[in-house]
Amino acid sequence: MTMNALKAGSVSDVASGAIDGPSRTAAGSEAPARPVRPAGFSGGQWGGALIRFATAVALPVGAFLLWEIAVDSGLASGRLVPPPSRILTTLVDLWTAGQLVDHIVSTCLRVLLGFLAGAAAGALAGSLTGYFRVAHAVVDPTLQALRAIPSIAWVPLFILWFGIFETSKVVLIATGVFFPVYLGVSTALLSVDRKIVEVGRIFRLSGFDLVRRILFPAVLPAFIVSLRAGLGLGWMFVVAAEFMGASEGLGYLLVDGQQLGKPDQIMSAILIFAVIGKLSDALLVRATAPLVAWQDNFSRGGL
Amino acid sequence: MLALKGLGKTYAGGVQALAGFTLDARPGEIVAIIGGSGCGKSTLLRLIGGLDAPTSGTVSIHGETVHEPHPLINLIFQEPRLLPWLSVRDNVGFGLAHLPRAEQAARIEEALCRVNLEAYGDRLPKALSGGQAQRVAIARALVTRPEVLLLDEPFSALDALTRETLQQHLLDIWAQTRATMILVTHDIDEAVSLAHRVIVLKPWPGRILDDIKIAHPHQRSGVPFEQARAKVRSALHQSLSVPAPADIRTARAQHPSVLETSP
Repeated sequence: MTMNALKAGSVSDVASGAIDGPSRTAAGSEAPARPVRPAGFSGGQWGGALIRFATAVALPVGAFLLWEIAVDSGLASGRLVPPPSRILTTLVDLWTAGQLVDHIVSTCLRVLLGFLAGAAAGALAGSLTGYFRVAHAVVDPTLQALRAIPSIAWVPLFILWFGIFETSKVVLIATGVFFPVYLGVSTALLSVDRKIVEVGRIFRLSGFDLVRRILFPAVLPAFIVSLRAGLGLGWMFVVAAEFMGASEGLGYLLVDGQQLGKPDQIMSAILIFAVIGKLSDALLVRATAPLVAWQDNFSRGGL
Repeated sequence: MLALKGLGKTYAGGVQALAGFTLDARPGEIVAIIGGSGCGKSTLLRLIGGLDAPTSGTVSIHGETVHEPHPLINLIFQEPRLLPWLSVRDNVGFGLAHLPRAEQAARIEEALCRVNLEAYGDRLPKALSGGQAQRVAIARALVTRPEVLLLDEPFSALDALTRETLQQHLLDIWAQTRATMILVTHDIDEAVSLAHRVIVLKPWPGRILDDIKIAHPHQRSGVPFEQARAKVRSALHQSLSVPAPADIRTARAQHPSVLETSP
């Protein structure tokens, strides 16, 4: 910085001029914001993804390897806890027999339908109780009491009401998904910052406009979190639903494995649950991430 | 044009925040309201802004009584209160949804220029400094072309240098728009250097203690400035010496939020 430059303008003018160009004057008295750091690791996008994936699977892969070695060397029998190689063989057998895809598809379909129905109902009920004081006073206590019932307790009733086929299963899953979504949306609406709502009021928004332009975006992050919780419960309840009598599905594989004494089949089904549960959650996060990119989070700040 | 007649506000619980506040603001006048805590400064702006209803008295603009937020009145809060999910441009255009797109865009650019942020339109609020965010808030209030601008300690959270820059911005905006401004502040220098008229409040409940005309407004130094400042200062000292009544002290201890509607 030359003396001439310092004489020509105030220090802040010079500082901002160096970055924003000479046209910026009074605005430059604050430190100009730094350029946004590119996301991900520095070693290229694919390299970064690979490193992240390797880090994520290191723990389970390591555990599997240890168990394989333990069984292989005779330290453990592996009869009730089959080694990974045997689970893999079972998976391949199930796959080649052509049933595995059917099992996975029917389970996924049940979860999807139950999740959609439960999430829609939960979002609707949560919106009503979060927005209307009266609805909250009338409905919320009852729903909280219903929430306290372990959802598995509904199974006998649902079977009586909806029969033993698909309807009762989907309804059970929907019940499981409903409550976290309801609670998430309702509490998020009730805790929207009064200060931001006042901005809407100053600009004379009311009713639907206030909901659409202020309340909905404000609760969106909490809504997405509640959807993830709901989806997790959906996977939990699909097993309970398939325990109550199914001829296909991953839950059926579990029951079948128990009754016929096939721990490798049970482990295979559990493994598939872990993988598709994680995948579906990742998919949900991926799909909704652009909607909440505006959040000023600790993790997004870059550490 | 902006007329406040006998405005009073008593909050639920019996705390009287404001009593018998009467003020006539001429078009284009900058009125500073100064006083310690418990003077009902924020309450006053919330009443004029239509966010709260007065317990007694009326607010009117051009003879029309204000019951709810009025299109010709806008309020700039102590914090920017930007909507974090909208870009700077969309935040500024928040109050323009009823206009055609082209008109919106033109007004937004004009307002961004007024606050020297034309290069920041695509940013999200999280990428702004405190001073930039408050300038966006000012632009957001300006685009609807209000005739009355209410400012609730708008610069108090900023560092001294930024505050001075923004005060100058505000005067530039005033020179261009000639909006009537009601500026609540606790900063004597700010009140005296910006306003045409400084109203000193006394607390419990908030009432007018003194109404001081600034003979030579918009100066930051010199003998008239020092004289006006001394006058405001002595009135403010008188205001601050009013002890809080026992029942207010109790109410405060029990409900800290009752008297301070915004922190």
